[in-house]
Amino acid sequence: MEKEIFALVGFWEIMLSIFMQWQAYTISNIKTFSVQSWILGIFLLWAGVFHGFIALIILALLTIITRAIAMPLYLGNTIRKQIYRARENKHRISTGLSILISLLLAVFGYLVYYLILAGHGQSLVSIPITLMLQGAFLIVSRSNAYSQLIGYLVMENSMFLLSFLFSELPFIIEAGIILDVLGVVVVAGLLMRVRDEDIEKEEELLG
Amino acid sequence: MLNLFFLSILQLLYVFALAPLAVGILHVFDERLSSRRGPSIFQEYYNLFKFFRKQSIYPKTASGFFSYVPYITFGMYLFLTLVLPIITAFPLLFGPVVDFVGGGLVFGAASTFLKLASLDSRNSYSILGTSRASSIGIFTEPIILLIFIMFGVISGTNNPYVINNILQTSTSWFFSLVHLFVGVAFFLVLIIETGQLPIESHTPNEFGSIDSLMSLEYSGRELALLKWGSYIKSFLLMNVFLNVFTLPFFVPMKFNILAIVLYMFINFLKIILLLAIFAIINNIVSKYRLFKIFDYILIAFSFALMAMVVFYVVNGG
Amino acid sequence: MIYLLPSISATLGAILSFSLFRNKHKEVSVLASFLALMFSIFLLFEPDSFTAFFYVDSLSKIFLLMISCVYLGVVIFSIGYLEHSHGHLVKSYQYFSLLDIFVGVMLFSVTLNNFGLFWVSIEGTTFATALLVASENDIAALEAAWRYIMIVSVGLTIGLVGTLFLYSSAHTLSITDLLSRQNQGSLFFLSGMLLVVGYGTKIGIFPMYTWLPDAHGKAPAPISAIFSAVLLPVSLYPLIRFFEVYQNPSLSKFAFVLGFLSVMTGSIMTLNQRLYKRLFAYSSVENMGLSLIGVSLGSYALVGTIVLIFTHAFAKSGVFMLTGNMLHELKTRKIEDVKGLIKIMPKTGLFLFFGALAVTGTPPFATFFGELLIVSKTINYYGWTVGVALFFFLVCGFLFINYRVINMVFNDETKPVSSAKESPFTFVPVIFITLAAFVILIVPIFYRFIEGVIK
Repeated sequence: MEKEIFALVGFWEIMLSIFMQWQAYTISNIKTFSVQSWILGIFLLWAGVFHGFIALIILALLTIITRAIAMPLYLGNTIRKQIYRARENKHRISTGLSILISLLLAVFGYLVYYLILAGHGQSLVSIPITLMLQGAFLIVSRSNAYSQLIGYLVMENSMFLLSFLFSELPFIIEAGIILDVLGVVVVAGLLMRVRDEDIEKEEELLG
Repeated sequence: MLNLFFLSILQLLYVFALAPLAVGILHVFDERLSSRRGPSIFQEYYNLFKFFRKQSIYPKTASGFFSYVPYITFGMYLFLTLVLPIITAFPLLFGPVVDFVGGGLVFGAASTFLKLASLDSRNSYSILGTSRASSIGIFTEPIILLIFIMFGVISGTNNPYVINNILQTSTSWFFSLVHLFVGVAFFLVLIIETGQLPIESHTPNEFGSIDSLMSLEYSGRELALLKWGSYIKSFLLMNVFLNVFTLPFFVPMKFNILAIVLYMFINFLKIILLLAIFAIINNIVSKYRLFKIFDYILIAFSFALMAMVVFYVVNGG
Repeated sequence: MIYLLPSISATLGAILSFSLFRNKHKEVSVLASFLALMFSIFLLFEPDSFTAFFYVDSLSKIFLLMISCVYLGVVIFSIGYLEHSHGHLVKSYQYFSLLDIFVGVMLFSVTLNNFGLFWVSIEGTTFATALLVASENDIAALEAAWRYIMIVSVGLTIGLVGTLFLYSSAHTLSITDLLSRQNQGSLFFLSGMLLVVGYGTKIGIFPMYTWLPDAHGKAPAPISAIFSAVLLPVSLYPLIRFFEVYQNPSLSKFAFVLGFLSVMTGSIMTLNQRLYKRLFAYSSVENMGLSLIGVSLGSYALVGTIVLIFTHAFAKSGVFMLTGNMLHELKTRKIEDVKGLIKIMPKTGLFLFFGALAVTGTPPFATFFGELLIVSKTINYYGWTVGVALFFFLVCGFLFINYRVINMVFNDETKPVSSAKESPFTFVPVIFITLAAFVILIVPIFYRFIEGVIK
């Protein structure tokens, strides 16, 4: 039963990250990420209540508060203060190709599980691996700073799923992870300016 | 044997007669949701009768092929009504002629004939409609094939009747993730095939130009047959979606006249429910730019491919 | 508990200079760093402690000493450097408090006994330093800081997956428990590879080093100094502990290959550089690649690594601080615009020359001795071909860097410019580079000191 629900949650997260490749506006990416974190948080909360682990319940609540509510609000506010150029979500490769590559990464994630990790875990491990690869691809395929940050946060979400399947890390470390990610997002929010498209040809950054 | 023959005739008449009514109801829902009165629900019948009474005109540059195609496609759609599960869940007399993949190919053949005929008419707008419909059609074919293959994986067969039985009786397959993803993929393809928003629009304000341009040069009886054929195609696809995939309940699995007649009403109620959902979607989204349709198709493809990955992950590598 | 004293003093300095003593933040920071240094020297003579929370042995103490020395030097130099800070992203007191908290977290992390907490603290240094890298507030600096955050965070996520696999296969994360177990199994190996890749991003190993030249090139000079000198070796520290816990020839080979490729990349890319700070950044990549090779080989190569790291800390930070001088007075970042440094700024020019010799591994400096140990162990373990190839790339790096530096320092074809003013705090890099020369005298003490760590 828990396996089924985990598969349900995991695969909807993967579909949501494929949706993120489809979106044209940055704010839609942030909203999709918020939905993804809500699903993750509610799933962790349910699992904690089901098993009776207090630590998991607290962790789930922390996840919901930071990742589903606070971070999207903060990032959304930062976008509204920027000029309009931050709103469009420029792709480096075309939308269709990036959706297709995300999809192939899903198959590839299953392949990675099958070849490398087959002895160590259940087949559900391929879901977080796929999500991590898709988060990484989201970073690679965009030149918009907000989308890259969302890609990084998707990777952190997948870490939570992975730690749910393998043994749980000790509570203090998981709390440390959440706080660290929060710190990175805050600093990134302070640093994000509208990045020039020709930044790659700046002489000081070449070579 | 004779029972099956009569049931086949009954099914044919059912689809034949009620397809324009379904499309009429959809138009009325659309208009009512936009706070307009809309036409009466029998308007499509009046249109068809009007077209049958008119004279057919053919373009000078068209060949004889142009005039035969509407009959051929209409015949193909009628053939399909005999093989798909519409009012029964056991195969009727002509059930074993084609399976699911064959059914999909016959749909494809019918639309190919229509495209060839509209190319034959040499009207630039018809050619435009053909090229658009072809490019979209190429990309939806893999999705349909993947969906059928996934159902073959689930049920071990390609027979739509068996799939219906399995989904009716086994709750674990009905509530499984594979079924959900395939259902979503088929819903997205259904929107493309029946020509709803966000792919193509039919309202007076916006001119959808994918399917409606292909029949531009037809008039009179041929036009009536083409239109009726497309209504039957929509009706059949919606029925397949509902009966085989989503709500395969109450479909009678044994031969029982009362159950079958009752089911005809229930089936029509299911169709109306689906039409209501379509109408709501039509009033929420706006039409996509042409190039965004391909991204939409890719999302539908993602759902279908993920269903395969789900199957391998959940049911063991 | 006393092992936390250096970290506590740095953190207190951060908090105080942010809140109460804003006007006197420079003095507070200097005091905090001086206290940290005193505590570190005092801790050298304390016994080792292996409790549930702390794992302090001689390696940790050497790291503590190194971090606090460089910290003191950087704080003093920053006082002079920030006189010229106009339009910076962070104000002066914020700069000092960020610097303090960054060093405090690093001082904390080398005393820990838990791989998970290693990860947390090393990730924690990311966001303290990102704002510091972006200080100059122009587009290229912001871009460099953004690349730094993204690449390092993604890399550390991979490291987190490695830590997770470690926990799942050993059910414990503390070093003391791991040392007493027999660690084997493919999940352990997988976690080792992921940890090497993950922490390798922060260290600057091929192919994850790409943030390093950008961040070092655009950050202010004291920040580049403390990055190269301290941040990179502290990110190597968990890997040293991991290799202590788990010995596996394939994993060592994997780390060796990555380190070798970093050395190769570092030396070759220095040929094509046009900006002097990026030149020294690639030299850092090369040195860190060499350190990873030493860590993967173990035994006396590990001694060589520690000698290399210790000397490199002093020499590289000195060099970067001198480049800060150059930037302020000559106002150009390009190598070709800098000519005849020895006439314009005599102290800077001379010690830049010595510092470049030190970082590339020239005899009287102890880096040479460290590199010698590492290369000899390589020859011993992998044969003559690999060792000679490694040596060849080191020689390449040596030639290219010193060619550029000599062009900058001694070449005075152009008409002589009037001598420029050097920063009053130039004595700091001078002292550091001189110290780098004298480290070779204490190498035997090193060897006895860290004998317990070597297997």
